[in-house]
Amino acid sequence: MEKKRILIVDDEKSFTSILRINLESVGNYDVTVENDSNKAFSTALHLKPDLILLDVMMPQKEGPDVAMEIRNNKVLQETPIVFLTATVTTEEVKSQGGWIGGHPFIAKPSRLDVLLNSIEANFKADE
Amino acid sequence: MINQENKISKHLRVLVVDDNDVDLRMLEAMLTENEAGPCFFRCATSLADAMESLTEQDFDVVVLDLNLPDSQGEQTLIELNKKFPLITIVVNTGAYEDEVGVISLRLGAQDFLNKGKYNSYTLNKSLLYAIERKRLELELKMAYDNLKDLQSQLVQAEKMRVVGVLASGIAHEVKNPLATILYGITYLSEKFDKNKEDIRIVFESMLEAINRANNIITDLLNFSGLTRLNKKMEDLKDVLEKAISLVRHELDKHHIKLIKIFDSNIPKIEIDSARIEQVMVNLLINAIFAMPDGGEVVVTSQIFILSTEDLKKMPELNQNIFYLGQTIIMIHVDDKGCGIPDNEIDKIFEPFFTTRRSRGGVGLGLAVSKNIMDIHGGQIFISNKKEGGVRATLVFSVNSNKGDEYGKKTNSYC
Repeated sequence: MEKKRILIVDDEKSFTSILRINLESVGNYDVTVENDSNKAFSTALHLKPDLILLDVMMPQKEGPDVAMEIRNNKVLQETPIVFLTATVTTEEVKSQGGWIGGHPFIAKPSRLDVLLNSIEANFKADE
Repeated sequence: MINQENKISKHLRVLVVDDNDVDLRMLEAMLTENEAGPCFFRCATSLADAMESLTEQDFDVVVLDLNLPDSQGEQTLIELNKKFPLITIVVNTGAYEDEVGVISLRLGAQDFLNKGKYNSYTLNKSLLYAIERKRLELELKMAYDNLKDLQSQLVQAEKMRVVGVLASGIAHEVKNPLATILYGITYLSEKFDKNKEDIRIVFESMLEAINRANNIITDLLNFSGLTRLNKKMEDLKDVLEKAISLVRHELDKHHIKLIKIFDSNIPKIEIDSARIEQVMVNLLINAIFAMPDGGEVVVTSQIFILSTEDLKKMPELNQNIFYLGQTIIMIHVDDKGCGIPDNEIDKIFEPFFTTRRSRGGVGLGLAVSKNIMDIHGGQIFISNKKEGGVRATLVFSVNSNKGDEYGKKTNSYC
């Protein structure tokens, strides 16, 4: 089976490098990291990922603006986006049923299995 | 001019407090000699007598002699003013020093009359002016109290705003590294033999530390930025059961027996179940901490229509929210623990107040719980029980969310 391509867009370098190692160790994913959100759209356009993990608060371009660019692009508009955020709490995410503003959300820190479940669920939703 | 004043004065209700029969009769004569004099006049001959009269009926003004059989001097004025702060008092005494007059005014009287030095006209005028001054004084006091309230609300709001800004900044800066550490530990734990006791303990302790740090940040965020609610019609029983299941491990660890007494007639109400669950977990954890060596927690739910008796029995109930005849749901969490010291019970909802600082408490659990109940239009209160232990109570109104529909439905339950 061909590996799924995941793009992580997050400015926290230590976080993205450890998350990449974790996701790659699962065996099913090819993971690309983009720490500069200004370049997130062009990286995504080049990679055409099966799913994007997108941080909300970043010093350059904010997550929702990146999401907007992706949704407005014909090639990328169907790409599932899962937001990762340190600014909301697990309770808030839970209270919103895991979705905020039409997107699935994962609160940082969440257990790896919670993140993996959300990734898998959103692949399926896309198929 | 005189006539005009007397016209106003004819509605006055005057209580004269004097033990001297001659003085009494003179006053009565002066107050009533004009056709348009006061329509109501009553005498009291002692301070106790005066207080009884004031309890029984309303007066516009009290003409008070300071030296009475049961009270002398300025003490008479102090006592009366303390018990009836809203009544207008004009001191009328045989002591002729101006000093007494000034002292009387400072102690709350509106005017000072020297016996034998006034006539019907000046007496009536004095009483009328005194009443007007008292009215203005009370108005001013009310405006001042309102301003003071508003100021403390503003200070509180500003504090909350600062905590909010601080909290979201800290949350972002702390949660990111926590996530990094969490996934680092998750990855490394796969590389080690977790059957080895010491390795297992190391990983579990690190995970617990991350959880604790995250919980503190979460509490802070919840406390400061709690504005969004995801309200749905929910069964409170499910929420209670879920909260209990979340603390089951702690209950067992501390050998605490949990007793549930749930009213089966409680209809679904509109709440954010995750938030109410959070409140219940807070209350249950507090109960568990109060009984470290075991005991009993009772969780009770009930629905009833508020009666006069209930309102009397529960002075804590906020009568701006809950009123006579309203259908309400109450959840009690009772423990048999050590109780809350009297000097601390007023502070328990204050942010950062905790009795468990040494055990990792931040003091936000109850502050968050109060916020959650407030934005649900409900109430939380906590009191020591006479027989020992603490009772925490959550109150929800049944008909505040869906109008009369639920009110009617629930009436049939009670």
